Amino acid sequence: MKIYAYGIIDSNSGMDEPLRGLGEASVYNIPYRDIGIIVGAYGHTPLLSDEAKEKTDTYILEHERIVERLTEGFTVLPMRFLTVFNTKEDLLSMAELYYEDFKNNLARLHNKVEFGMKVIWPADTIKQRVVDVYHKTKHNVSISTESPAKTFVKEKFQEHIIEKEFQEEANRCVIAVDDHFNKIACEKKLKKLQTENLLLNASYLVDKDRQNDFKQAFEQLKNTPGDLKFLFSGPWPCYNFVTLTKKPSSVDYFNTEDMLGRLLAQQGFAQERNSV
Amino acid sequence: MTMNRTIETDSQEAFIEEIEKIQDALPKRIDANSKNVEKGLAKLVLTLVELIRKLLEKQAMRRIEGGSLSEEEIEQMGETLLKLENKMKELKEIFGLKDEELNLNLGPLGDLM
Repeated sequence: MKIYAYGIIDSNSGMDEPLRGLGEASVYNIPYRDIGIIVGAYGHTPLLSDEAKEKTDTYILEHERIVERLTEGFTVLPMRFLTVFNTKEDLLSMAELYYEDFKNNLARLHNKVEFGMKVIWPADTIKQRVVDVYHKTKHNVSISTESPAKTFVKEKFQEHIIEKEFQEEANRCVIAVDDHFNKIACEKKLKKLQTENLLLNASYLVDKDRQNDFKQAFEQLKNTPGDLKFLFSGPWPCYNFVTLTKKPSSVDYFNTEDMLGRLLAQQGFAQERNSV
Repeated sequence: MTMNRTIETDSQEAFIEEIEKIQDALPKRIDANSKNVEKGLAKLVLTLVELIRKLLEKQAMRRIEGGSLSEEEIEQMGETLLKLENKMKELKEIFGLKDEELNLNLGPLGDLM
């Protein structure tokens, strides 16, 4: 039987109460020095294919449920969904290799939670605006259209300037959004324009006792006039803020947030969801 | 602590669409079999060629913007870039690849292009 890992915690003691995880398997703590790895037996092989999608979705939520339950009593470094070890020895080798990293992360993420913020902007409208401005502006560079090659370069140059302006507009917009949270968050990870419409995909690390400040900052942002759309979520376990100095050789053990975010997005928004 | 989670948006459909776009950028595993292995390899090679082509193009545009190219140099550069783009179109057609397929997901670094 393989071993499924849910996360690393800042305790090497046993669990206070019995928990059931993926496939109803018992969840328990494997101690390593003064920390612990929360695991369960794993005999399933759900694939990320269409046929197994429903089962996989259930497992993602099960994984999240266990991680969230752990955060009630411990500082947790959540493992990536479907992190499986062949033997206990493999698991302990991993713990030995990353022990210092785990200790540093547990100290850094103690009493912290994560919030997610995604922002959609009207990319088509913005781009059209940039194009209009481009055509109205007198440019220093003038390229003739006396040959197909020069006509080609002229078109490419226009595209280049328009794209540059589009990116600069995106930067200005991201800074304006981020300004609302910058002073409240301890750390942040901002991804700009992952798609043309998705202006910002941000994760913020926030002290537990500043959660309300963070939520208020979002309320303020939401009420700012403009044509941005927001997806605000949290608090989450710190999925996006576990940093390893030694890179895993073949597996990324952490980060489940994107997969979970997609799933929760499909299951419905604007709801208060309490952990188990 | 119990996590009183808020998930809030007024544009559920729009966000699902964008999140799916990010996740569908590349299949998580390479689906290699005898029928599609040629296309898979072509996709990988053309993605890298396309990256280099775009970098060359970007560098050229920066030089034009900086005003460091003569008319003759712009003509020569235009011819090269035009030929390169046409050749890429031809190869994409041969292997049945679309522009949006020529990308690589670099995990935490985002997409290649």
